[in-house]
Amino acid sequence: MSAYAAEGQVPVIELRHVDKHFGDLHVLKDICLSVQRGEVVVIIGPSGSGKSTLCRTINRMETIDAGEILIDGVPLPEEGKDLAKLRAQIGMVFQSFNLFAHMNILENVTLGPTDVLKRPRKEAREEAMQLLKRVGVESQAHKVPAQLSGGQQQRVAIARSLAMHPKAILFDEPTSALDPEMIGEVLEVMTELAQEGMTMLVVTHEMNFARRVADRVIFMDDGSIVEEGTPEAFFENPQTERARNFLNSIKNH
Amino acid sequence: MRDARTNIRDALYEAPGPRTRRLTAVGTALTLAALVVLIALVIRRFYEAGQLDSKYWALFAKYTTWRYIGKGLVGTVEAALMAGTLTFALGFTYMLLRISRLKAARAVGTALVEFTRGVPTLLFIYFFFLVVPQLGIKLSAFLKITLPVAISASGVVAEVLRSGVNAVPNGQREAAYSLGMRERSVFLKVVFPQAFRIVIPAMISELVIVLKDTTFAYVVSFPDLMQNAKVLISNYDSLLAVYLVVAVIYILINYLLNKASDFMARRRNQVKGAAAV
Ligand SMILES: Nc1ncnc2c1ncn2[C@@H]1O[C@H](COP(=O)(O)OP(=O)(O)OP(=O)(O)O)[C@@H](O)[C@H]1O
Ligand SMILES: [Mg+2]
Repeated sequence: MSAYAAEGQVPVIELRHVDKHFGDLHVLKDICLSVQRGEVVVIIGPSGSGKSTLCRTINRMETIDAGEILIDGVPLPEEGKDLAKLRAQIGMVFQSFNLFAHMNILENVTLGPTDVLKRPRKEAREEAMQLLKRVGVESQAHKVPAQLSGGQQQRVAIARSLAMHPKAILFDEPTSALDPEMIGEVLEVMTELAQEGMTMLVVTHEMNFARRVADRVIFMDDGSIVEEGTPEAFFENPQTERARNFLNSIKNH
Repeated sequence: MRDARTNIRDALYEAPGPRTRRLTAVGTALTLAALVVLIALVIRRFYEAGQLDSKYWALFAKYTTWRYIGKGLVGTVEAALMAGTLTFALGFTYMLLRISRLKAARAVGTALVEFTRGVPTLLFIYFFFLVVPQLGIKLSAFLKITLPVAISASGVVAEVLRSGVNAVPNGQREAAYSLGMRERSVFLKVVFPQAFRIVIPAMISELVIVLKDTTFAYVVSFPDLMQNAKVLISNYDSLLAVYLVVAVIYILINYLLNKASDFMARRRNQVKGAAAV
């Protein structure tokens, strides 16, 4: 998979010295990070370390206090049409799915393409059906989200992102709200995406997924990136005390 | 509304045991008996006063009476629909002002809500009946009743809608923004449709109030059910009979509205309930 991350290319996502506070709380401290085309980067770290916040700054769901965020080498717009355009190019999958509760599954997937990309309804529906098939929920197309299991809902959320043909997808703990027996089906879809070359930034506690799929693992603690490396290097031979402690604490579960 | 109450009752009390069930049965029987006695007393009073004489009821044997009542009913329904639509349009506008990013707009919205909620309906009606014509503005009787009734209810509706908007989980907005949707689309296609579903029962309660407020139509002589009832009373000198029949009609309409509200609330809960499966 690392083959996709050709050296010397402009990264799809780049953060330069990003800082963010929530009031007095310093949640992101001098974050520097880049994600190359086709790369899968997994972020791990203890609760409250700023993983979600980091993810959310990338499509400006959260603003930043200092530093720079570049998408394909272009600074992130601050507002308006340009920001909306950019958000359309970066998918986001949430822990709590956030499917549109009043629409059926098919409408959930076609809303973005029709409203934002102005694609004809018929065309959008056809593609949506293909995407739903790809994530294995095409038989549910006319149900509303509340009628689906969590695993199915999250797969629909992934299809909804894909319908926008994004340059990259951000996943914020996509399996944390799921019953154990449904985690596998979602990770499977994500693994397939990674294999097809999708650029992905994934916050997760699924260490096996990180080992198998990630090109790079980033360990965050207390608002900083503490350690960063290949999954083998990170899991077999963590360099810092804090990473060792964290890995021990989750092993004991 | 009824549905919500049942749910609350389910939540308030645990399932009754045999003793509670016996007590409940005795209590129900006593209440019913008291009610029957009360009604019998009332009927006797009316009988003694001669109000139950057939001469007071004879008018209901005539087709023309029912046609006149029917016309009044149509007037009431028209006025309620018009006032309801206006109420919604006004309430929606104040609500948009109240959730605006601009401080000045929010202040205007709050002022409108407080003003319309605070002033009694009848005062608005007198304003349109007595003051507006003096300003040289000629309005039809229909507008003279529907405008003030709508204005009077609009503030409450604005607040009901706003509570619905606030009840939509933030994740819904975030998901929409993350697709690249613009503010207006997010509101009109994602937030408001869900907010509206949430407040349907409260909106129907408000529609019942609007409908009842249209009975003030007699002030401006608009021929609604109430106004026509008054005409029948003065023509036939049959106060109690006419008022009873008209009251039953109002109760039926409002009962149907509440049923519709129950139905919609239940349909929403069914969809929600499926999530638990
Ligand atoms: N909107 C907010 N306002 C104030 N503080 C916030 C807000 N969002 C997050 N925080 C705080 O910022 C810190 C980082 O939060 P964040 O959600 O990024 O952590 P996380 O690493 O994703 O944790 P978790 O694993 O629990 O999801 C936490 O201390 C959190 O309480
Ligand atoms: Mg988080």
